[in-house]
Amino acid sequence: MSDYLPFIVLGITTGSIYALAAMGLVVTYTTSGVFNFAHGAVAMVSAYAYYTLTVDWGLAPELAVFLVVLGLGPLVGVIVDRGLFRRLQGAGSAAYVVVSIGLLVALQGLVIIMYGPTSKPVPPIFPQKVVDLGAVNVGYDQIAITTIAAGLGLGLALFFKRTQTGLDMRAVVDDPQLAELTGANASRTTTLAWMLGSSFASLAGVLLAPTLGADALVLILLVVQAFGAAALGRLVSLPIAYAGAIGLGVLGQLSIKWVSEYASGQTWLSGLPQSLPFIALFTVLIVSKKGSFKELTKSVQARSSSQTLAPGSRRFPAIVLTVIVGVGLVIPSLATDSRTTTATTAMAMLIMFSSLSLLLGLSRQISLCHAVFVALGATTLGHLQADGVPFLPALLMAGLVVVPIAGLLAIPAIRLSGLFLALATFGFGVLFQNLLYNTSWVFGTSGQVAVERPTLFGNLLDGTNEFYFFVLAIAVASVVTVELVRATRLGRLLRATADSNVAVETLGINTTAARTVVFCVSGFFAAIAGGLLSSQVTTVGTSSYSFFQSLIWVAVLVAAGSATLGGAALATTMLVAIPAFFTDADVINYQTMFFGIGAILLAQAPNGLVGLVTNLPNTRLWGRMADDGPARAGAHATRRRQRLAPTSATPTSVPATGATR
Amino acid sequence: MTLELRNLHAGYGRTQVLHDINLTVPAGAAVALLGSNGAGKTTLLKTIAGLVTPTSGELRWNGREQSHRSPHRRVADGVCLIPEGRGIFRNLTVAENLAMHTRGRGKAKAVETATRYFPVLGQRLSQTAGTMSGGQQQMLAVARALVTEPALLMIDELSVGLAPVVIDEIFAAIELLRAEGRSLLVVEQYVQRALAIADYVYILNKGRIVFIGEPAQCRSGTIFERYLGEGVA
Repeated sequence: MSDYLPFIVLGITTGSIYALAAMGLVVTYTTSGVFNFAHGAVAMVSAYAYYTLTVDWGLAPELAVFLVVLGLGPLVGVIVDRGLFRRLQGAGSAAYVVVSIGLLVALQGLVIIMYGPTSKPVPPIFPQKVVDLGAVNVGYDQIAITTIAAGLGLGLALFFKRTQTGLDMRAVVDDPQLAELTGANASRTTTLAWMLGSSFASLAGVLLAPTLGADALVLILLVVQAFGAAALGRLVSLPIAYAGAIGLGVLGQLSIKWVSEYASGQTWLSGLPQSLPFIALFTVLIVSKKGSFKELTKSVQARSSSQTLAPGSRRFPAIVLTVIVGVGLVIPSLATDSRTTTATTAMAMLIMFSSLSLLLGLSRQISLCHAVFVALGATTLGHLQADGVPFLPALLMAGLVVVPIAGLLAIPAIRLSGLFLALATFGFGVLFQNLLYNTSWVFGTSGQVAVERPTLFGNLLDGTNEFYFFVLAIAVASVVTVELVRATRLGRLLRATADSNVAVETLGINTTAARTVVFCVSGFFAAIAGGLLSSQVTTVGTSSYSFFQSLIWVAVLVAAGSATLGGAALATTMLVAIPAFFTDADVINYQTMFFGIGAILLAQAPNGLVGLVTNLPNTRLWGRMADDGPARAGAHATRRRQRLAPTSATPTSVPATGATR
Repeated sequence: MTLELRNLHAGYGRTQVLHDINLTVPAGAAVALLGSNGAGKTTLLKTIAGLVTPTSGELRWNGREQSHRSPHRRVADGVCLIPEGRGIFRNLTVAENLAMHTRGRGKAKAVETATRYFPVLGQRLSQTAGTMSGGQQQMLAVARALVTEPALLMIDELSVGLAPVVIDEIFAAIELLRAEGRSLLVVEQYVQRALAIADYVYILNKGRIVFIGEPAQCRSGTIFERYLGEGVA
């Protein structure tokens, strides 16, 4: 038993930090209805602020902790609430998910620009002494962290149960309007809750920093482990979140011992300790009773969903497709070899974005694990080639291998909506990366897989242009297939399901099949894209397809426009083409930050940037610019009214529809 | 304390719902607000409570302009709206709902008052409010008016979906509030019940006030035939 004690002590300590993060998450979720994916980013920013205050400015650690946790944390909470989420009120849950992911991506980019990608050592907060308890030595810091977490947990529970402000916070999420009617200031209450939740994230970040250093991705990922603990309590229970976090912390440490003692030969088990929270997250989400995870954002009255439907998304985009093919065909004759190489990557990425837009734009299901599909496509192609399978059959099989895995994800997709599906796919993505990327089915222990270029009619396509045209052909075929899905019955069905699943089911249509098929189709094409991308570079490694890539892709696609092929094309251009024109290594970080900001700004736009541009002729500004002032603007307004005529034709019907709200 | 609306216009976004509303609820009077579905009754109550902001006109409570004051400030001044469809916090317990009403002051007295009027609530203090029956939920909603003792009580479609015996019990409580001299503004689908407690009747049609009078003037039935359809009275 004494062998285990040090691990248990360590587990309780790390579990206590997860508990702080998890409780902060629960506080903001239960009081504002917003699940903040950027919770880990708040912790990360706080850790870096602590670094700046102590190392750069030379402040005492205690003072720095005080300033960060009680100053920066609440400040970030206010900004996030008032600046980002408040203006979304009434939007669907997808918009909230996208904005918080945008924030996560933007903050990560910003921090790396400011501090660089390497980990920064951070001074300890507590004295580096130990207490000898006989069987085990316990550090002062361990005692302090455990006490702080337990004390704050208890305090928080009492705060919600016993104080009027705590009660107000619970009442506001239940029904904000009614809370106002009983005399609570709903707006101030929500902001207070954000400040509180944010401070908890800050504290978790600052407490983690001395052991881990200030490291953007590591901190985000560690705090994200709190998602699992929070999920155990269905995101709403503080005591279960606390107990779950401690339990996961202890289990994590014990599993480190078990894996090193009994299963050191099993490479896949080496990722088990840090995967436990995600196993918990994914398992809880897919096995819990249907409907037991209730989306709190829905308590806010849903805005008319017609606003989020992209114009023209139901037609086959013949013009856009023609432009893509036209530009695609002339690129090699105009561009240098290196530019054509970039264009090849772009064509493969176009397939990926097109597949992602099927989920994001069409059925409005957020997949945060597309990097897994792409990685599997890439590595499976490599493995099959190594076994002597020719390129095209191998590519097709790589796509098909992903289909059942994507089908597995369709289980949460059918059972869960919006936020929880996003969470499940996120958990799945991290889990897959931690547990399976190092196995021989995927990247193997070396973390790399070699992929060969295709051979067509006996010729190896190793020339830049030859390979480019090969990828172009597959890209066009894939995009046409995706667009056919969008324009035909399945697409209509998915659009309708996204609007109201219940309405579709009352028509006697089984939506389960449609939602399963769309995940499989999307996964298939993502894998095809992965295969092509890998054979372009001929060696692929784990770092190219980390879970964070999935988040960036979602942010880019939302910013560009997730509902049409034009959006996928623009996303590809923004992600692949723009960096090719810059030589500065930092450009990728700036790009990441801007994608995040773009996703935040455009989360509610019907079809991102593409939607804004195509909608330009309908705006007042355009009316003014195109003609000579107010008269023209009036003419435009008349046109607009005529266009909207069927819904508001008679003035008498207007009060009739409005009054029932 | 008098509620006065002068040339009030209000709506949602670009949609105008209320047009040129003139309405007065004198201190201690009961006003019934009638009208067909979609006439704007709920919007009018929400505008008075502060959930909808008027686009123009005056909205005075106790002589003070209210148009841009937030709902919780109006509550502090004695304006209480019990909204349509069970105005309770479904995820809080009955006791916590009552504590929300009193804002931390005199919770014990609130529980005592609520259970005196509605004994059934006393047996369910620690039950989550959303799990009670519809009638009990509505009792809890009305309990807010009993424990906060507002000067103006607005009630929106209290009896929707409730059994007659439950409606009787709730209306008995409202009669008591009326007897205490509180102003009432009631929207109610059971016209006869509304007329029985009202001093004045306003009829709203397509967002405009089309009739102002006393209950006795409505007995003839022609008014209702004109605005609410035949057979209502």
